[in-house]
Amino acid sequence: MAVLAAAAFLTASCSHSGVRSLTIAVNAGVEGTALKTAAQEWGSSHGVRIEVVELPYANLFEKVQLDLTSRTGAYDVIMMDDPWFPLMAANGNLAPLPREPDSDFIANCLQVCKNGATYFALPYVGNAQLFFYRGDLFSKYGMAPPQAWDDVLHAAKTIGEKEKMFGYVMRAAPGNAVVADFMPLLWAFGGDVVSTDGAAAACDSAAGVEALRFMLELGKYSPPGYAGFNADEVSAHLLESTAVMSINWPAWIAAMDDPAKSKVVGKIEFTTMPAEREKGVGELGAWLVAVPSASKHTSDAFDFVFWATDAAQMKQAALRGNPPTRRSVFESPDLVAKFRAFPTQLRSLDSSRPRPRTAKWNEIENAFGIYLSKANAGAMDPAEAMRRAAQAIDEILKRTP
Amino acid sequence: MKTRVPAGFAWVAPSIAVLLALSIYPLIFAVKVALTDASGAATFANFARLAHDRVFATAAVQTVLFTAAALAVEFALGLALALLVDSLARARSLFRAAILVPMLLPPVVAAVAWRLIYNPQFGVLNGTLRRMGLNTAALTWTDGDSSALLSVILVDVWEWTPFIFLLLSAGLQAIPQEPLEAARIDGASGWQSFRDITLPLLKPAIVLALLLRAMDLVRIFDQIFILTQGGPGTATETVSLYIYRTAFRFSNFGYAAAMSFVLLVATVMFSRSLMKAMKTR
Repeated sequence: MAVLAAAAFLTASCSHSGVRSLTIAVNAGVEGTALKTAAQEWGSSHGVRIEVVELPYANLFEKVQLDLTSRTGAYDVIMMDDPWFPLMAANGNLAPLPREPDSDFIANCLQVCKNGATYFALPYVGNAQLFFYRGDLFSKYGMAPPQAWDDVLHAAKTIGEKEKMFGYVMRAAPGNAVVADFMPLLWAFGGDVVSTDGAAAACDSAAGVEALRFMLELGKYSPPGYAGFNADEVSAHLLESTAVMSINWPAWIAAMDDPAKSKVVGKIEFTTMPAEREKGVGELGAWLVAVPSASKHTSDAFDFVFWATDAAQMKQAALRGNPPTRRSVFESPDLVAKFRAFPTQLRSLDSSRPRPRTAKWNEIENAFGIYLSKANAGAMDPAEAMRRAAQAIDEILKRTP
Repeated sequence: MKTRVPAGFAWVAPSIAVLLALSIYPLIFAVKVALTDASGAATFANFARLAHDRVFATAAVQTVLFTAAALAVEFALGLALALLVDSLARARSLFRAAILVPMLLPPVVAAVAWRLIYNPQFGVLNGTLRRMGLNTAALTWTDGDSSALLSVILVDVWEWTPFIFLLLSAGLQAIPQEPLEAARIDGASGWQSFRDITLPLLKPAIVLALLLRAMDLVRIFDQIFILTQGGPGTATETVSLYIYRTAFRFSNFGYAAAMSFVLLVATVMFSRSLMKAMKTR
């Protein structure tokens, strides 16, 4: 209770020494490292003292959200995962961009930076889910890259049995993990989590139940215990050559081709999400940069944000391992030669979908994830899981904040 | 008539100030947060919601199960180990130090290590069992719906049995030898000496060990957060984990404060009834 009270009382110190300074909150990972390096370069060239606060994913959300709601102005620039944007941009907590972003940004990345007609952030990392598969084994058995989820199921069965491997591996731990791996299936089967107007749950539709049944079919070819898997376990199976296919994020591409970590160097191929009744769509997971309205250095903060997301800097960030959000950088010949998955990543970004744009997404994802995880663990029938999930989501949507 | 301030007040005033600032005021503030809505109006809605929140009910039941099971096993093992080491003629200090090692690890480090150990395909546990010729296909540990809670309890038992052992060992060393020697001369068996002399004299240490462990178990968070994040489904969801998620992931401090208050009241009631039960025996 003391922690809760202390959190509600969060205050932050702020330098008033007259020296120009920026405090930047970044994700502790490759995305944040690139922004941190860029910030230090910008700080030295502009005479601004830079303080970078690196925080693990969950802590970044907690600290930034507390700072925004308590309006302490502890951070001048914040990094955020795109599903956080609707919550963080609420109540005027973010400062609007002083000018419109240019048209080189990929439209799907840019659309998640808007609240109404106003832009409050710029996209920094262009993440969209990809489909990873063993190109060597697909060739060995004369199979084309999977175009539909039925192809995936067929390949999982055929290659898995013949190679004594797990045909497919997915993450089904509750929360973000299972929801992220289920969304491409749900969309491909024609379902959705919430209705178009965002007012009611829609996951218990016939398409939703069928998508979940299909996920459980895929689960038969997944390693035992996948209902508790997160990204690490999924990638470990691919890297150890014990699984044939999975949905994954671009951040794992480098590891697949790193001989120090991988037994499958050059064997993993990447494609866009398979289709089924609808076209294949991957989940968008862009990282954005924004300026809190309580920042006391908004002018410098916006200068930095626009500088860090211009084409030249984004190319540098790409070389440091971040997928870009600008078309010109994705199509840059030297980068395409260096990063073989770039063309597929760009196609995936162009066809990607963001998670429902609601400030309650964290809560909805948690409730949805619980029932998806239960179904995958064999503790609940798919129809019942979807019915219960819809009930829980409706309760969340009806509840006043 | 002037009221005289007790002479020692100045000496305890700093402690009282710290207690008020860090414990009493936050407690009152949290209750206030639980009783107000987003607009600041008084409401009982957060407490009313608890009554029909299925996840909270599941988390509460699992917290009780987790606490009861872990406490029982840790106490039984801790007492057995304490008696065993106490009976040794030599190398007591060595065994005592060796038994305490798991407790010295930060819980987060222990949980990360156990997450790797439990991995069904690459973990050392299933790997060892496979080398022994056992089929481990069904042994999914923290990733299995029916085995997850048990696996988490096992980690807690491994890490915190030494704590019970430590307190009971200290209790055993404080027991005077004369009554035990008198019982031996009178022909009492080992079991009779333990039941009628050791156990009653060890009672203060037992109460302390059970109380401290129970309060710690009720607020279990770090191990479960790392090992299972409450899953699969809600198989290992506990009240603390749900409070954390509600406050820091869903930004609903009012509801989280209401749950925290209920957890606090339940813990106090449990502690009082445990002390009462031990006093009457």
